[in-house]
Amino acid sequence: MAHHDHHAPDLSAGNIGGGKFGALAPRLFLAGWPLFAFGCWMALRGDNIADGARAYLVAMVLALATCLGALFFVIVQHLTRAGWSVAVRRPAEAIAQNLRWIWILFLPIAWMGWTGKLVDLYPWADLGVLRSIAPAEAELVANKAGYLNQKFFFVRSAAYFAVWALLANFFWSSSVRQDRTGSPSISARCRKWSGPAMILFGLSTTFASFDWIMSLSPAWFSTMFGVYFFAVCATCGLSAVTLTCIALQRGGQLRGIVTAEHYHDLGKLLFAFGIVFWAYIAFSQFMLIWYGNLPEETAWFLPRQVGQWYWISWGLLLGHFILPFVLLISRWPKRWPSSLAVGCAWMYLFGVVDICYLVLPHIPHDLAEFTDYRAFAEKHAADGPHGPGLPFLVAGAVLLVFAGTARALRREQSLASRDPSLAESLAFENM
Amino acid sequence: MTTIATQIRTTAATGAPARLNCLLAEYENPAQLLAAAEQIRDRGYRYWDCHTPFPVHGLDRAMGIQRTLLPVMVFAAGAAGCTAGLVLQLFTNSFEFTVWAMVWVTGYPFLISGKPALSIPAFIPVIFELTVLFSALSTVGLMLLLNHLPRLHHPLLACNRFRRASDDRFFISIEARDPRFYRSKTEADLRATGAAAVEAVTEGDD
Repeated sequence: MAHHDHHAPDLSAGNIGGGKFGALAPRLFLAGWPLFAFGCWMALRGDNIADGARAYLVAMVLALATCLGALFFVIVQHLTRAGWSVAVRRPAEAIAQNLRWIWILFLPIAWMGWTGKLVDLYPWADLGVLRSIAPAEAELVANKAGYLNQKFFFVRSAAYFAVWALLANFFWSSSVRQDRTGSPSISARCRKWSGPAMILFGLSTTFASFDWIMSLSPAWFSTMFGVYFFAVCATCGLSAVTLTCIALQRGGQLRGIVTAEHYHDLGKLLFAFGIVFWAYIAFSQFMLIWYGNLPEETAWFLPRQVGQWYWISWGLLLGHFILPFVLLISRWPKRWPSSLAVGCAWMYLFGVVDICYLVLPHIPHDLAEFTDYRAFAEKHAADGPHGPGLPFLVAGAVLLVFAGTARALRREQSLASRDPSLAESLAFENM
Repeated sequence: MTTIATQIRTTAATGAPARLNCLLAEYENPAQLLAAAEQIRDRGYRYWDCHTPFPVHGLDRAMGIQRTLLPVMVFAAGAAGCTAGLVLQLFTNSFEFTVWAMVWVTGYPFLISGKPALSIPAFIPVIFELTVLFSALSTVGLMLLLNHLPRLHHPLLACNRFRRASDDRFFISIEARDPRFYRSKTEADLRATGAAAVEAVTEGDD
């Protein structure tokens, strides 16, 4: 005869701490900072930092996307008053709280603005230089000078970091305060502010993606770009949240608290946002531009379809959509932590590839000289992701984000143990 | 052993004895129901069901219900929709084949905004929509089919006691067509699970 009485899970300090994952924090920092610093040095030394600055931007955007995706997860749980997710919310909050220090990663770009090198990254930063290389493009971009100018750019950037730090700090400090006081009114307060928080989140990520990624090709525009960036955030953030939960459990924590039911739902969210929604948005953006066939719009896709970028484009379609769609659509790969961990690591990797695809390719200035696609493709056959220091920067950024996460989980609990909905989350089952 | 309170009545129209449809056991809370369901499952009954006013977690496992095949069928239907969308557009827009589909029809390549006749990106929205349409319709349709729905009437609905299944009581019904159903034995089985009441439900007498 089967038993159906639930054993109360172990909520003692030994099961809801940082465990072995939290203890990794110093080593992750020790590995992350030198790698990141070395990558910075490789990318930003010398006079011509055009490629290096883009490689740096990849790393910064990756770190941001990971934390922003986690922040979205936290906000949406409060917004929907979700009960199931309480058991996995703290790891997400721990990733999101990195947004409190992540503005440091913007300092090299601020330094570029300070020393007049910003034009190496953003062509709109100096219209005189742009005019000497591509007069036609400069004429288009001059019309956007009211928005795309250095002073306003840095004011906006500061505003984004301020908003994110504020939101992440609010949800993190509220949650850990509840560990001590156990006050249910803290949950009510989080719910109350989750609506405005979501609006702020949507606006800030949309405009940040316009400013930092879309304006790399300042004559080009896509109203879908902000949503695309949100899909990037969801891919990186949700896979990082899941991987952190699995790492905590492998490190001896949250035993009997995070169950296959929670992994199943995390997997569903990753499947929905990171795989299907991403493909939907990426294809919608592509198809509208392909169908309209306007030169100033198609120019963005042209450099992404020659040289190595041709294979990377196909790789994204296969690796970011078709393959994970088939492999993660079933029930069991999402419920078994080992297969879900592989799926999340895979999706995170393709999140990185996607950010490289968004950031690294240039729209070449000699575009107007070609009348034939084939001639253009031959000239640019060697194009590819050639950012100096790129692997070091990416590895360093990922290690730093996880170091900050592990540190937070070592200092605070890895479970919001006094959330009023914890019991609901522990008893949660998928129908 | 106590006997069942309900008398076997005869139908007014035919005078034939009303046929026994099932035995209905009543429970007061989900915990009792879950425990009872496990016992009934372990007795090897096949044609039986639980009735609750709200979803009870863990009931599927307690009843020993296998996972449905529906997702696999829906995947097949979605794949069929995907293929239909692709083939239909390829045939009508990309090739000049003539095939017989009830009548003779010929593909007609039509120049649209200078695009090649075989332009997969332009076909994707239709392929996507047909995939979703086939999947959604087959999900609903096959779900109804697998549940033997729609069904206009069920003998349980004529049972007064059963009305509380949509309010505050929990029920197990074991159908008389079950190979292991033997009236006195099944009634004993149900009473052994701690049922608050057991009632025979007949058909054709309402």
